[in-house]
Amino acid sequence: MIGTRPVLSVENLSVEYEVGAGRFQAVSDVSLVIPRGRVVGIVGETGCGKSTLAQAIPRLLPEPPAHIRSGKVIFQGTDLVKVPRSKLPLVRGTGIGMIFQEPLNSLNPAFRVFDQIAESVQMRHWRETGVLPSFHPGPTPFDYSRRPMPETADVLTHPIIPPGAKDEVTRRVSTMTRADYRKEVLDYLRLVRINDPETILNLFPHELSGGMRQRIMIAMALSQKPALLIADEPTSALDVTIQAQVLTLMKELIDEVHASILYISHDLGVVAETADDLGVMYAGRLVEFGPVAEIFESPRHPYTKSLLRSIPTRYKSDWPMPTIPGSVPNLSQLPRGCRFHPRCSLAKPICSREPPPPLRVMAPVTGDETPHKSACHYAEEVANLP
Amino acid sequence: MASPQRPSVVRRFLQLAWRNSVALTRVLRANPLSFVGFVLVAITLILTVIVVVHPSLVVPYGASQNTGVYQEPPTILHWPPSIAHPFGTDQGGRDIYSDVMLALPLDLGIGIGIAGTSVLIGGFLGLVAGFWDKPGTAGGATSTVIMRTTDVFLAFPSLILALAIVASIGRGVWAAFLAIQTTWWPFYVRLVRGEVLAVKHLPYVTAARAAGVGEGRILTRHVLRNVMDPIIVYFTLDIGTVLVTFSTISFVGAGIPFPGPVPEWGSMMSFYQGAYLLSQYWWYITFPALAIFMTALAYSLLGDGLRDVLDPRTRRALTQSVTTHEPPPEEPPLQAATTETSEEEEAVEETEMRS
Amino acid sequence: MGRNLEDLLIFIGKRFLELLPVLLGVIVLTFLVTHVAAINPCPRWYPKGSPAVIAHCKAQFALPLYTQFWNYFSQLLSGNWGASQLGVPVLPVISSAVPATLELVLASMLLMVVIGIPLGVIAAQYSGRWGDHLVRILYLSGWSVPTYVGAVIAAVFLGPYLGLPTSHEYSTTSVPFPQYTHMSVLDAIIAGNFPYTIDAINHLILPASVLAFINMGIATRMTRATMLEVLPLDYVKAARMKGLSNFIVLYKHALRNALIATVTVLGLTAGGLLSGTVVIEEVFAWPGIGAYAFASLGGGGQPNFDGAIAVTIVFAIGVVIANLISDVLYGVLDPRVEWR
Repeated sequence: MIGTRPVLSVENLSVEYEVGAGRFQAVSDVSLVIPRGRVVGIVGETGCGKSTLAQAIPRLLPEPPAHIRSGKVIFQGTDLVKVPRSKLPLVRGTGIGMIFQEPLNSLNPAFRVFDQIAESVQMRHWRETGVLPSFHPGPTPFDYSRRPMPETADVLTHPIIPPGAKDEVTRRVSTMTRADYRKEVLDYLRLVRINDPETILNLFPHELSGGMRQRIMIAMALSQKPALLIADEPTSALDVTIQAQVLTLMKELIDEVHASILYISHDLGVVAETADDLGVMYAGRLVEFGPVAEIFESPRHPYTKSLLRSIPTRYKSDWPMPTIPGSVPNLSQLPRGCRFHPRCSLAKPICSREPPPPLRVMAPVTGDETPHKSACHYAEEVANLP
Repeated sequence: MASPQRPSVVRRFLQLAWRNSVALTRVLRANPLSFVGFVLVAITLILTVIVVVHPSLVVPYGASQNTGVYQEPPTILHWPPSIAHPFGTDQGGRDIYSDVMLALPLDLGIGIGIAGTSVLIGGFLGLVAGFWDKPGTAGGATSTVIMRTTDVFLAFPSLILALAIVASIGRGVWAAFLAIQTTWWPFYVRLVRGEVLAVKHLPYVTAARAAGVGEGRILTRHVLRNVMDPIIVYFTLDIGTVLVTFSTISFVGAGIPFPGPVPEWGSMMSFYQGAYLLSQYWWYITFPALAIFMTALAYSLLGDGLRDVLDPRTRRALTQSVTTHEPPPEEPPLQAATTETSEEEEAVEETEMRS
Repeated sequence: MGRNLEDLLIFIGKRFLELLPVLLGVIVLTFLVTHVAAINPCPRWYPKGSPAVIAHCKAQFALPLYTQFWNYFSQLLSGNWGASQLGVPVLPVISSAVPATLELVLASMLLMVVIGIPLGVIAAQYSGRWGDHLVRILYLSGWSVPTYVGAVIAAVFLGPYLGLPTSHEYSTTSVPFPQYTHMSVLDAIIAGNFPYTIDAINHLILPASVLAFINMGIATRMTRATMLEVLPLDYVKAARMKGLSNFIVLYKHALRNALIATVTVLGLTAGGLLSGTVVIEEVFAWPGIGAYAFASLGGGGQPNFDGAIAVTIVFAIGVVIANLISDVLYGVLDPRVEWR
């Protein structure tokens, strides 16, 4: 796994916002790697920069207020930061796909379900047959080596072009009509476990429930078979029961499709279930990164440890509930040195003077290949914290 | 005097003035064009005051005065712009610059007067129609009557109705004023009513009611404060629009006669556009036209800048259904309804709260 | 969830019924303005009238109000819309003038949509930067220019400079084909006469452009405002993430939603456009109802009482219909509006 080129490699990415009163850094010096077929989760509190990070990777942030100050975003070998804006659409869709948080807002309210998914399918057809240019010509197959495919996911392995028939198919694909797309759209709707998808084809988003909208959003993204899927808190805005359903769906899809996913969430429990690797962000910085099991078992950053400790795990009356003292700093008034030091129980004088160290590799506890890194001066002593 | 709970009136006024000037600077900073508009508006107001109080400071000659009598030989007719006559003179020797300046108070006064009266009348009716509109009650019936009447008035293009009124009651300043006033107030009824309806059901108003706050206080504190925003925007914009409409009515011949005791830009243009060899004497109509244009542009720039800052509220009032007066359907799908504000928004809010 | 043709007709019908009281009110208000509010009307409406004419007029105004209203109302409904002082009946003139104005207004609206709305999109795209400022100066200038100033500048300076004709609908007064619709371009197309079609379009360009330029502001500004609201929303980002080009994201996905609100101000622009036709048609000698209004309301020194009443009502009907159209369009464009 590690030997092959990673799907995404973010190197020292910094994103700055220009607001009327000044500028502030929403993301500071973040580096992470998503190998093929891994699910990388990013957790953090509200305002820690994880959504900014998620949207900065495909350069979705509006450039006037937000600027990528420095760093690289290397997607399949191409540095997206250097790609001119006019060429960015070539990367998105079939290269990077994204699902959003708010089901109300993420589907276009003016178009029917069929039209929205058909548009995605159409884009992919045109890219793969060369009608439209793309950075990633040809289908980028997922790696299905983990287990044999169940039938519903067959749609993802259908070759679009029979080998040797490219020209004729190009012509045919360009003249594909609604009826031709219908079968594929229905297939994708079944992939996201919607029963009787024919009934919802002609509905508008406002006529559907939140969970249904989210599934459609997932179907839309998957129908373009992206090499990397970014999920920006896809279940945060749903009711808990619906959240569980969509989460189950995502886990099954991850297993079936073996996609590379960047999963953003503020919910540690959700991430624990879905992710292979986990990154913890605080005030714009990535403070810890490593395999999920290892981080949960032996966190190496005080913030992570406090976070894990503050999850109510059982229904017993552990009163008072453990919390992290203080509050998240204002991003335009960050503390000097380590950004977490005012709230840290391990804080020493050096933490307020020196800028926080870069992520250092820790000795692994579990046997996973992903290195466990932590950005703390006293990472080894974190294990001794209560 | 200041009591422990309520700060004194003076203090509150100062706070309000401070907050409003901060808001004003926000508007001006937001948009360089609105700053230009603000400067121009200030200029027009200052000039108006000067012309009214101490005209000889800026106006060398009297209204429609034949300046030729002062010259040797005693004929200065249709001279192009020069140092002595910055806008030139017309075929009767009148200094166009003086006439343009002397017309400023009248035109601007009419603009502000009509816009202001419309705000008062329309605003009052809109408040009534918005607040007491429960169907089946006396208030509801009043509200319906008000809205239907407003609809009828709004059905006429303003110029047509104004011209019809002037044709019926004769020409002159007051006739034109009345005519335009009659067509202008209905817009504010819809504006204010829309805003009142939108605010009436906001959670914090309901909470205030539940806490026992009286209706009158709710009206003044909560509703009015929200209603003021679109009113300010459209009041400013309307000063320019009324000016343009008034000059059009004068142009059609329904306003104040020119030459006469009081010049007025529109009637000046009406008089000159029939002048002999107009294309040779281009300065006749150019300067009154420029005066109208620059003044209207000034208020439009300022108003548009204000509208940028206060936009969601002005939109709400404008986008009601014109036939059924229903507000547009539920707002969430057209508004950001994210449960988690992005870092950018939080930072913007924080910096704004601090400033 | 009915959104088929039958539901649409019901929707239109319901909206139309709501308008009937307004139409009635229009008739009543016109009566109030012309008959009740009139101060010494007879010399003003008949400035060169013979004593007999003035006496007849005074007798009409001396009748009790309800009689006056009854005469007025029944005449309107029966189609007897009176005549001018010279005896030219009003109704035939209006029925041939209305389509001409309609052509002008439609051409202006087309220009406003084709130019004004993309300008609004550009202003939203470059919000706060020079593109935004340029667009703003453009539409605010249009708004601040009095109609006749713009019309005179266009007719006297722009027309000759661009080589565009500045009066009437055709270059010749007698047109070699019958005018069924009284809409110049349409008539020429129906007659299959290509040179005259081009001629008619040339004549249409200047007056329609001036009208559009002056009234463009509302549409542009509304488009800009709604686009600014729509552009940060997630579904626009989702559209970008589908790999669609910027143009498609803006004009297919974002604008489609932004236009919903823009359409509601169509009624406002209709009022402005119709007001503008009064002066534009006069300056460009366009044989429409605006010029007729200009003349009837005393513009040329020959007021026309019956004509004035008729044009006032017709203009109001025009605005009302425009409002109806904008309401229906809103119901069509916004999928959340129920039709039944």
